[in-house]
Amino acid sequence: MDNPKRVAGGAANRGLEENTMAILDTAGFNSSKISHHLNDDRLAFLEAVRCASLLSCNGTAPTSIMFEAVFQILKDEDSLALIMESYQLLVDLTKRFPRVYLSKTEKSESSSSNVKSELVVVQEAWCPFSFGLDNYNEKAVANKQLGGSVDSLSFHALLQEVVKASKERKSEVVEIKFLRNMLLLQYLIIIFEGDFLPRNSAYQENMNWTLLRESLLNMLLGSRKIIYKGFIQDCLCIMCDLSFDQTELSSEVSHDSRHSGDLSEETDTALVLALPELEKSTCTVLKKLVLMIMELDLSRSMADLQGLTTRADGVRTPVVDIILEELIYNSDILLSFLQVFDEPKWKLKVIEEYFQKYIPKSSVRTRRSNGQVKDLTFDGVLKCFSNSNSTKSIIKKLSIEVAQLLLAHAFQAYLSLSLQHLPEGGSELKEDVKGSSLAEVCKNVISAFTSLRREDKDTEILPFGKEALFTAATILLTES
Amino acid sequence: MTDTYDPLDFEFEEPIRISPSVPNKKKKVIGLDDLLEDHAKEQKRINERKSKRKKIKNASDSEEDEDAREKELSKCVDKCQKEMDQINDDDEMPLWGIQVFGDQRTFPALEHPEPRSCFILQSIMNNKLNSLVELTIEKGEPFLEGLLVDGWLLKLIFTQGQVEKSISTWIFNLMLYSSKEWLRKAACEFWCSILSPEVEASSSDIKIDWLPSYSDLKRALDIYGYLLDSPSKCSPDIDMIHADSDTAGPPQNIRFWIKYVAACCQVRNTHIIFSTSEAEDFLGVIISLFLDRQLLGLSMILNACMYSVISFFKEEEWHDSCERVTKSLGCRLPRDINCLRTVESISGSNGRSKHLRSAVAKQFLIRCLQEKECDAEDILRMLISINVKDKNCDLSKMYIYLAFARKFKAEYESKQKVIAKEEVLVISSALTELK
Repeated sequence: MDNPKRVAGGAANRGLEENTMAILDTAGFNSSKISHHLNDDRLAFLEAVRCASLLSCNGTAPTSIMFEAVFQILKDEDSLALIMESYQLLVDLTKRFPRVYLSKTEKSESSSSNVKSELVVVQEAWCPFSFGLDNYNEKAVANKQLGGSVDSLSFHALLQEVVKASKERKSEVVEIKFLRNMLLLQYLIIIFEGDFLPRNSAYQENMNWTLLRESLLNMLLGSRKIIYKGFIQDCLCIMCDLSFDQTELSSEVSHDSRHSGDLSEETDTALVLALPELEKSTCTVLKKLVLMIMELDLSRSMADLQGLTTRADGVRTPVVDIILEELIYNSDILLSFLQVFDEPKWKLKVIEEYFQKYIPKSSVRTRRSNGQVKDLTFDGVLKCFSNSNSTKSIIKKLSIEVAQLLLAHAFQAYLSLSLQHLPEGGSELKEDVKGSSLAEVCKNVISAFTSLRREDKDTEILPFGKEALFTAATILLTES
Repeated sequence: MTDTYDPLDFEFEEPIRISPSVPNKKKKVIGLDDLLEDHAKEQKRINERKSKRKKIKNASDSEEDEDAREKELSKCVDKCQKEMDQINDDDEMPLWGIQVFGDQRTFPALEHPEPRSCFILQSIMNNKLNSLVELTIEKGEPFLEGLLVDGWLLKLIFTQGQVEKSISTWIFNLMLYSSKEWLRKAACEFWCSILSPEVEASSSDIKIDWLPSYSDLKRALDIYGYLLDSPSKCSPDIDMIHADSDTAGPPQNIRFWIKYVAACCQVRNTHIIFSTSEAEDFLGVIISLFLDRQLLGLSMILNACMYSVISFFKEEEWHDSCERVTKSLGCRLPRDINCLRTVESISGSNGRSKHLRSAVAKQFLIRCLQEKECDAEDILRMLISINVKDKNCDLSKMYIYLAFARKFKAEYESKQKVIAKEEVLVISSALTELK
């Protein structure tokens, strides 16, 4: 019932398209001071599309040509009002007229009133991407003319531009282009998300790998046009740069704008106000992208195990491995990555795998189940720090600071997980949280830090470590 | 257009034309081509009638007649061209935008909670574990900041299920008045997390000893320099006065103010923070923030905030609240292009947003026409009665009226088909005149 209304009824849509596109027609202009009017026209166009598709009672999705025009405005314009408006409109339209969605169909006769969700892909819907012919979606490519104009190469190029801009933020004047690129990136990742999430949850239900194989995200990552590893590195770069520098930057800029009189332009003030917010949301959105890739990897490995993938699927290093490599060889990024990446489940997994590389195998050998060596858990990590020998060997390979950082962050992720599962009771506890009680873990964290301290008495405990200790101690005090 | 040979109708050369014979089929989108076609048909009919009449009258001097007509036509075209040029030159629509924020006042001093009285800190200091943490009274403040920024404080609160007053006031003030981005950001995240339960464990278990009230938020707005609280302050000269001021414009903290208001409105079920009339006031404030070009880049969080304030109201409250908000906006905002921006900024596509949008449009229209209370039909009648050919008629004002009428109509359309039909006619004929 709640399916979004999407009437293909050609005639009505064509009329709508003609009328709204006419607003953008510049045929009537001949004066030189045209830009002001052009911007007005474009705003009027956006407003008209909003009215026709979102605000009227039975609005239909804009046609591809209209979508394309809105997208073009977001891509090319320099006016803040136009950029914000077109972005908001595109996001609202994507929400209202999703290209991919799950429809809950109740098949009462066949599957005993089981609510089954079915994946619906609206083939004719507009999509900003066209990943060309090096993918599996040949049918779709053949059937429709792809209106999208972003391919894997230009998406990566956009990412790199944002990387560059976020690195140079401090020295340069705030630029509208940076803001526009961030919004563009956000919108495109929202499209990935809207495409991937329903596909992935449908896959969890019916194990149909084709659904995920045809997802935009999988097509992007499988594209031979981009260097996958570089792509992930760029994602990490943006996440870390945007979150890390933000603090000094924003206070500096607002400081500047107050003292140099030229910057009193409204747009500049608007940019100064908007940038920290957009940097934060860009960071969040990239985190989402990385998480989606992680989930995709997880689904992929399930499909591999069940023999659902073929050689045509190619091989791709799991994103967690690439991230680990980055973190190990680039310790600058480690601190900011751990601060930014706050999704507890994956964060704990990344840290556990980090430790796994440094903890001698003999001491890892924990429980065995189904003949498979179990991955190292947080509990296992803490146990390694309980005896002096293994602690020494870890510190030798890792520095003591890194060990502290990883321990403290793992503890924080662990706390988040245990808090998330608190109301549901013990039944659905995650593997990572299972095992020891919260109090035990707190005790173990404290003893791990104590033994770190014992090995190297000169090293101060990092502030973050102290905070972790304080938290553990306070929890112990209130629990007892 | 070859078959429409009538010189006096030179102005119909323009393709954007709405003839009175618009087919009023429901829901069919009228394309420009359809209009043109209809118009052509109409003209053909008129021409045929005319030429028939002419034939009867006089068939011989049709050539002379044609010459005269041609002259007349070129005169008209010239005149029209001149008028068009004039319009292009001087009739520029003013840009929207008013200064919603004036001078900032001095921010209140940030008071740190006294570590000695702070329960959280105190418990640890007497503990043997303190040999590792090495916490002292002197280091209490920076340590608390660290706990907040790194997210540990939140974890502690969730495990303990309680926020003591000294902590919550301190964090609230950091959010609204700190000049350090990382502190105010962390403070805002802290408050939003303890208010909205989805992320961490259910917050209904958390006892919050002190909740900031409406007046605390209003005070912050006042300190940021918000100008629109009293109607008298709102005058167009206002930007002149403050233009070169050092501290004009809102501080970065306004972002967190907006987010916090949004968070408060979402948790009406668990925490009573605002009364209905206070929420009405905030809805008006949020809408007014859309008018300041300095806040243009914040439209995403403003939209989100407007959405959550609108959903704050209970079903039975909404109608009256909407009316009161509309009225107060009508009093507070200048009656010019900014009103149009106001209406357009209410862009949500849910029922309430649409209702609000239409109500605000109607309110402004009534105020612009300087009437007290009237219904849709009265408004229409008044619009029809405006003679657009009158020299004194302000076309840009007329444009605004019509835009309002259109927005107001969008809501009405579904309810009253008949009126809507009439309205289409009025508006389209008025638009025709305007072109």
